[in-house]
Amino acid sequence: MKKLRIMIALIVCRLARAAIRLLGRGGTDLPGRLALKICPDLLGVLAKTVTVVIVTGTNGKTTTSRMIEQAFIDAGISYFANKTGANLISGITAEFAVHSTLTGKCKHTHAVIESDEAAFKLVSKYIDPKAVLVTNVFRDQLDRYGEVTHTLNNIRIGLSNCKNATVCLNADDSLSASLAQELPNRIVFYGVNTPIYKTRVEEVSDAPYCIHCKSEYVYDFVTYGHLGGYRCPNCGYHRPTPDVAVTEVLAADTEHSEVAIEMDGVRYDTNVNLPGGYNIYNAVSAMAAGKALGLDPAVVNQSLSQFSCGFGRMEKFDIDGHSLRMILIKNPAGCNQVLNFLTDATEPFLFVACLNDRAFDGKDISWIWDVDFEKLTEMGDLLTGVIVSGVRADDMATRFKYAGIPKEKLRIIKDYSELCKACLAQDKPVFIMPTYTAMLDLRATISKNYGFKNFWE
Amino acid sequence: MELKICHLFPDVLNLYGDRGNVVCMQKRLGWRGIDVSVTGISIGQKLKASDYDLFFIGGGQDFEQEVLLEDLKGEKTREIKAAVNDGKTFLAICGGYQMLGSYYKTWDGQQCDFIGALDLYTVGHKDRMIGNYMFTCDELGGQTVVGFENHSGKTYLGSGLRPIGKVLSGYGNNGEDGMEGARFNNVFCTYSHGCLLPKNPVLADHILKTALAHKYGTAELAPLDDTIETNAHRYMENRLRK
Repeated sequence: MKKLRIMIALIVCRLARAAIRLLGRGGTDLPGRLALKICPDLLGVLAKTVTVVIVTGTNGKTTTSRMIEQAFIDAGISYFANKTGANLISGITAEFAVHSTLTGKCKHTHAVIESDEAAFKLVSKYIDPKAVLVTNVFRDQLDRYGEVTHTLNNIRIGLSNCKNATVCLNADDSLSASLAQELPNRIVFYGVNTPIYKTRVEEVSDAPYCIHCKSEYVYDFVTYGHLGGYRCPNCGYHRPTPDVAVTEVLAADTEHSEVAIEMDGVRYDTNVNLPGGYNIYNAVSAMAAGKALGLDPAVVNQSLSQFSCGFGRMEKFDIDGHSLRMILIKNPAGCNQVLNFLTDATEPFLFVACLNDRAFDGKDISWIWDVDFEKLTEMGDLLTGVIVSGVRADDMATRFKYAGIPKEKLRIIKDYSELCKACLAQDKPVFIMPTYTAMLDLRATISKNYGFKNFWE
Repeated sequence: MELKICHLFPDVLNLYGDRGNVVCMQKRLGWRGIDVSVTGISIGQKLKASDYDLFFIGGGQDFEQEVLLEDLKGEKTREIKAAVNDGKTFLAICGGYQMLGSYYKTWDGQQCDFIGALDLYTVGHKDRMIGNYMFTCDELGGQTVVGFENHSGKTYLGSGLRPIGKVLSGYGNNGEDGMEGARFNNVFCTYSHGCLLPKNPVLADHILKTALAHKYGTAELAPLDDTIETNAHRYMENRLRK
């Protein structure tokens, strides 16, 4: 009976996904939901024989997963991954389903699974991962996740389910590093021992006070946000020494970064083929995951120079000689990092912000006022213009007006085809900063009008 | 003319983009050639309320609001109460609004005493009241105010207070009596993030006028081109009227 139920669930799931894709959409949620209705513990059954690494945390999940994925490819490991960003239990189940035979046996030995922080506590009930990587904890869409301590608690509960996992934690994040204290698991701390940006935007710290005793932290250095070398003068809680550490930033431009990573007494010169200081964090965390999984560090290091980024994550489109980079933003911390990256630019560029407020974007757009867009204004002529778009384009325009962007530099274009045309009607590189559903819509327009792949292809 | 703004606890009560209200007030004064200064006063810093004309208090996370309570006791409480009674202008949002009241009682009965400058109290609830919302404001000639609320506390006003507006869509103070925010002397309280003032320019100017009038006797503000702000306001107004 059980076997039949599994088989039916798997068939329904695959048919639903095929049908939805025939209609020209991604189909990332519904098929898994249907399958779970038929067989509630389907994920547990399918994941049983698979060596899984779970990546969770506020920012950097997708990019880090792509890095680990490349390491699996380069190490010759048979794997699959939930690449389309469907990181709730339904999407993860569907991904396992399409990579299993109809009797429920996985066709691969390994899986790279990105999990939403809140979904992690549920997912971890069914999957027994070999490694869990927590990227960081920042204030996220507060209407969905609540306060940072709430997110941290969700991850804590999830980790308590992962009895056999090696846990990779960000030493520089006082919030997620604190998870180590109550875990019996093997821990691999990773971190960055040096500042990573030439200039930094003004950011509010998401964790200025000690998580244990509420005294104000003292910092020896800050990399970005609340990340860095913190210690509590009252109770002594402090940044643990990372096992895998970036010791030096050798070079950084708008295409890539070169860093030195030290691990087990060996120095690796690493070329990260995505720009931005936060991708340095993603790279060192991928090295930590490699260590937790027992991969050859030389292979992982090499993979970082050749992985393909997740869709919308600094994804580059070359259209008739024009360069468009799409940088997904989800929260103020992520957005500030995009600005840290852009304000290091030395060549003129056009900036586009697309703000939607659907459930997956975060319904509350208040955070745009926590972001230091004033730094863009200070760039003067390097910023050739700002175009705003999306459902809440008028709010975004208001934000830029109050950030001091001159009227003649600010345009509102709500139609995505017109937006693309405007980007191509000038000759400077374009950096587009969309929220999640705006990114999907805009990407679909680019695919349709200029012949790029859809995100699920 | 000059307006001195005091931003209370800017590094602790800094959630939900509320600092945008200070940016907005600064710009709208500056565009009219009125001098403005902003001073942040945080934990451990002395507050001399008579130095300022307008006070802003935003919302924060529960964790950080707890850090504040010790600091609020004693002198800061006395200074804030005196300023409220002297007719100084206040804009307090969400957590800042609750803090001006008498106390906060958690859903399991624990009571946290607050400043007590206003006769109101807040009771915690298990379900959060979250979403875009809208209220009318009589003192703005019936003009609507749009914003985003996200609170688990239900606030109830004492007899000496009136609400800032009537809820047209959403929850407001408690989701029960249709009232939003509080008004007392020149104190303006609301649950509205969003950020509040930039897309409600009429309310922004009304608050600035209140502070200027208290300081200089009368105040007129030159009109500004608010096309972009009004579009943002209208978009949400139309969406919530559907």
